[in-house]
Amino acid sequence: MSKKVLVVDDDPDVRLFNTTVVEENGYTPLEAENGEEALKIIQDKKPDLVILDILMPKQSGIRLYRELKTNKALAGVKVVILSGIAKRTFLRSQKALTEFGDAEVPEPEVYLEKPVDSEELADVMRKVLA
Amino acid sequence: MDIKKLLFATQFEELWFDALQSLLDLRKASLNHVVFLNVIEREKVTMRRGAGYQKKEEIKLREKANIRFIDWAENLFEQGMEVGVYIVVGNLASQVISAAEKEAVDLIVIGRERKGKIERMLMGSDLTEIVHRTGKPVLVYKYAPETGGPLERPFERPMLSTDFSSASRRAVDYLMPLNDVVQHVDVIHVVSEKELAGTSAMAVQKTRKESRNKLDEMCDLLEAAGIEARSHVYIGETVEQIEKAARECGATMIITGTSGRGGLAERLLGSVPKELSEKSAFPTLFVPPENL
Repeated sequence: MSKKVLVVDDDPDVRLFNTTVVEENGYTPLEAENGEEALKIIQDKKPDLVILDILMPKQSGIRLYRELKTNKALAGVKVVILSGIAKRTFLRSQKALTEFGDAEVPEPEVYLEKPVDSEELADVMRKVLA
Repeated sequence: MDIKKLLFATQFEELWFDALQSLLDLRKASLNHVVFLNVIEREKVTMRRGAGYQKKEEIKLREKANIRFIDWAENLFEQGMEVGVYIVVGNLASQVISAAEKEAVDLIVIGRERKGKIERMLMGSDLTEIVHRTGKPVLVYKYAPETGGPLERPFERPMLSTDFSSASRRAVDYLMPLNDVVQHVDVIHVVSEKELAGTSAMAVQKTRKESRNKLDEMCDLLEAAGIEARSHVYIGETVEQIEKAARECGATMIITGTSGRGGLAERLLGSVPKELSEKSAFPTLFVPPENL
């Protein structure tokens, strides 16, 4: 059975692009349009990889990432961040939340700033899922 | 009634990030989540003769909004806040209402009404529609007329104008948990001259005393919550007196309850909230009654 990749992004055009790349590379795509919806899918379908946007309605990728890395039941899920938000901001934000008393979280496996082309995204998926 | 999450609706013409920054004092209470909303008005992308739907224009406007929101969001994320965003095509009031419902926000922040007088008469005001349909408090943000910039801390010294309705009482409930942000509240009631017409000096004093007693009860509630409060009675035309009182008290914001009256009745008869949102120089927070 092929590995499952969850694409989380509020922009339907980005979701379509990413899920197409996922499918063309032999993986099974799943999709969610915000962090809240994504968390339900992750708990239910246990994807092998999450390609995660940051700035979304309902729940941002920053909070979802934190949930994934601090919840033992979900710790095995790999995460690639794909966002217009700079990596530096992501790291500062996680640091700020840790300073407010939340648990420390590791850096993401890969952080890609939008836009990326299909080959770059496919390469990253293959490496992370190898 | 805590303000944990606010919806900041901007068209990038009347409301900028500095306005939001001036509201971040609310973090001392419980604000930790900001949702940005930009509504691309349908007329800007709608079909034109021979051109069809302006998809390219929509993409351009979306990207422009997205770039601004990413910049603003980065600033807030780095402070440890949670941020969300909506960029949608449609009618301003409907989209604000929809986003406020989806996100279950505690406060909606909008800029001054941009519709003209005739347009408002025909189609109604966005503010009225938002307040009546969401039942959420709505802050109409205004920049300081003298400087053109934002006030440093709009919630620091608000003036609550009350008609003793349930919405006014709800406004007191709304302020009470903000005791780390609100330093002092002036609570005022305006008695109209019509109410006093033909009455004796004694009757006028009696009216003042009765109003004062009711105002003091509200002040007692605020003081019990740790917020300094002072009552004042004014006589005259309501909106004019509210504006005068706000200046006299050195208020940073006007807060008022809204009635359940909306739509056509308001368009024809007018209302204090509507006039305040249009005419007042102060940021104005409208609190609807609970059962709206």
